[in-house]
Amino acid sequence: MNTVLTAVLQVILLLVLAPLVTGVIKKIKAHLQCRMGAGIFQVYYDIGKHMKKETVIANSASWIYIVSPYLVFSTLITATMLLPVITKAPLSFTGNIFVLIYLLALGRVMMTLAALESGSAFGGMGSSREVSLAALAEPSLILALVALAISGGSTNLSTIMANLALQGIGLLNPSHFLAIAALLIVIIAEVGRIPVDNPDTHLELTMIHEGMLLEYSGKGLALMIWDASIKQLLMLTLFVNLFLPWGMALAGGWLRVLIALLLYLLKILILSAVLALIESSYAKMRLFKVPGLLATSLALAFLTILSQLILRGAGK
Amino acid sequence: MAAKEPDLIQLLLQEFSQQTKFMGAKAGNEYYLEVSKEALPEVSSYLVKHLRASLATMIGNDERSINGSFRLYYYFAVEYEEIFIVLTSAINPVEPAFPSITPLVPSAQWYEREVQDMFGLKPVGHPDPRRLVLHHDWPQGTHPLRKDFNLDSLEKLPSSDYPFGEIDGTGPFYVPVGPIHAGIIEPGHFRFSVAGETILNLEARLFYAHRGVEKLAEGGSLEAGLNLAERVCGTCAFSHSVSFCQAIERAANVQIPERALFVRTILLEMERLYNHIGDVGNICAGVGLALGTSHGNRIKEAILQLNQDLTGSRFLRGINAMGGLKKDISDQQLAALKTKLEQLAGDFTDLAEILLEHDSLIQRLRGTGRLSLVAVEDLGVVGPSARASGCIKDWRKVFPHGVYGQLEFEVAGETSGDVLARLKVRVNEVKTSFDLIFQLVSQIPAGAIVQPVGELVPYQAALGWSESARGNNLHWVMIGPGNNIFRYRIRSASYCNWPAVPLAVQGDIIPDFPLINKSFELCYACTDR
Repeated sequence: MNTVLTAVLQVILLLVLAPLVTGVIKKIKAHLQCRMGAGIFQVYYDIGKHMKKETVIANSASWIYIVSPYLVFSTLITATMLLPVITKAPLSFTGNIFVLIYLLALGRVMMTLAALESGSAFGGMGSSREVSLAALAEPSLILALVALAISGGSTNLSTIMANLALQGIGLLNPSHFLAIAALLIVIIAEVGRIPVDNPDTHLELTMIHEGMLLEYSGKGLALMIWDASIKQLLMLTLFVNLFLPWGMALAGGWLRVLIALLLYLLKILILSAVLALIESSYAKMRLFKVPGLLATSLALAFLTILSQLILRGAGK
Repeated sequence: MAAKEPDLIQLLLQEFSQQTKFMGAKAGNEYYLEVSKEALPEVSSYLVKHLRASLATMIGNDERSINGSFRLYYYFAVEYEEIFIVLTSAINPVEPAFPSITPLVPSAQWYEREVQDMFGLKPVGHPDPRRLVLHHDWPQGTHPLRKDFNLDSLEKLPSSDYPFGEIDGTGPFYVPVGPIHAGIIEPGHFRFSVAGETILNLEARLFYAHRGVEKLAEGGSLEAGLNLAERVCGTCAFSHSVSFCQAIERAANVQIPERALFVRTILLEMERLYNHIGDVGNICAGVGLALGTSHGNRIKEAILQLNQDLTGSRFLRGINAMGGLKKDISDQQLAALKTKLEQLAGDFTDLAEILLEHDSLIQRLRGTGRLSLVAVEDLGVVGPSARASGCIKDWRKVFPHGVYGQLEFEVAGETSGDVLARLKVRVNEVKTSFDLIFQLVSQIPAGAIVQPVGELVPYQAALGWSESARGNNLHWVMIGPGNNIFRYRIRSASYCNWPAVPLAVQGDIIPDFPLINKSFELCYACTDR
């Protein structure tokens, strides 16, 4: 079977599926809140609608503002190519977790710069909040991934996942759960969900990610909305494939790929439900308390590395 | 009512024998004192500092067609005597100015600025004499509430910059927000001065929704005035109509039938219920707690539908009449109401229990947006916002209207003055309201529902009031010739509470502003009129 073809297909799958995941999370949230909610395809309609609309650009905006949505989009596609979804990643022969993290960071830098371009107060506030939280979220993400990399014996994501899957049920040891807890916290922060950020708010003064998009319109906005959902699915995929790596079609024929696909969708659905549940049952944290939450993630990641070193020492 | 004036008035007349003259009592408990305009600050400050009176409202009036001068009416409420002391002063049109009482009685600040805009009477010595109601696209020298104001000759100027307060130093940034917002809310401009996320200062510029309701009512029939009163704002429609009717009934000295009073009281409580429950949900929306928001909305909607069943209007419009009610509510309807409310009361108790034990919610609310008791008393804050800061005043108790005087209930109060306290006051008031409605339904007498109000004597005036979900709404009506309205003044609860919001947010962070604002839940429309 053609590994290159499946690898490319999974990138396309991720891009196409991303808005659906956002829609599904919204639908689950609506049900939890006794509402009907919009249909699960609503995000596609929104993107389609904005694509057709006129783009208004602030007088003060420079090329950064126009280029940013495309640049963010391309960093995300590249990052997706480094990420094993249902099979090995297309670019698994090159690049590792650090490249992934820096690609995401590049996207973030472009987005925060673009938000400053329009000269609106909300863009500036969104950017400053995004950057100050990122300064804490990124180390946590790096440390959590490094902890899993130690456990997986490589910094290449495909190899990590394959090695983790090979450990069988023994993978589910305390140190793995610590790493996963650290990762879950940082992922909630990265995808901008409650208790860190509220993606559904209309209160412009409380916004972080949404604040940066306020001045975008037309194609730029459509792309930014799509970007956000791709980034979200990317993080969720990273999480489920590191937490429960079994079932990925790291080798084998079409049937295994199909099973892997179904398993993957199931895992994402369950994680979406968990996120919706968290989002419906907690209030957003006070902005100045978020660093404490991220510090918890950092501490958990530290503990993972320590416990791995100790466990390894004991094994020898 | 009282044949002899209270000792208070005697005391006041002795203290200021030179400057004041007793003009008699009107509408039972409004004691008029003619004061020379120079003595206004002195007498006002004596009333507030020594007699513990509080400024309830202030009215400017163009009486040049009656007696050749403008006139100011300062209404001081003396709660322990259940009376109003009205300081009134004539202002000669030749010299349209008066000494401001604001430096001594800060709660007069907006009233005096409004009189300056609407009548062109200058409050000399006012610490902040900028325009308030009229924005800068109104030409100088136009004063809409003067009787000789001509709308057709008005020329609209291009809008110019409003002189906002400045903060010195290199650190602070200005964050302008509104008047158009990301969500669908009323228009208001907020100018934050921030250092990082911390709010150093906030200036709220309102009055974008000014519709000239008071001017519109002038010269119209009383019935037209009632229709306007019901439409001053969407969320306190019934309280406003009660206040208006009461003003007319007091001026006409009409006793309205007992049954009508009971129904009015029931509906005032229904209005409080849907507002408070919706507000509890909205506070949750301020912190993104969707569970509280959706259940708050669900229960609120159920109550709005009950309103529709009872009166044909979700917002209780069209049932009040001067002298009573336009239509009766049958006993079967009231029995059905009770059954449904019992179920909703259970739902709300469950919701309140969940919310008040929700750690992540309580963490956000405790200590946020603290308003001190001193600020409450200085600014004359009213309603739940005042009661949450330890100023336990409820006009259902201190100036009983409807049949509140016959009912048993406790006034809710907290002392911490933060968002949590304002939430708790509302939760407790909702419980009281359910209980009050149950009492009212079981005690309501049979009988007539309206006592017609006849022709009124021209230039008679009276105050009407009711305690709404946001505090007391005060309406003052002066009758003109032909049983029409000569002057109509609306002072809503939100009008008193808006100046408190900038004080409550100082030192908090910007992302907490929507939450703090929601905890006051102020209305723009009835502030602007």
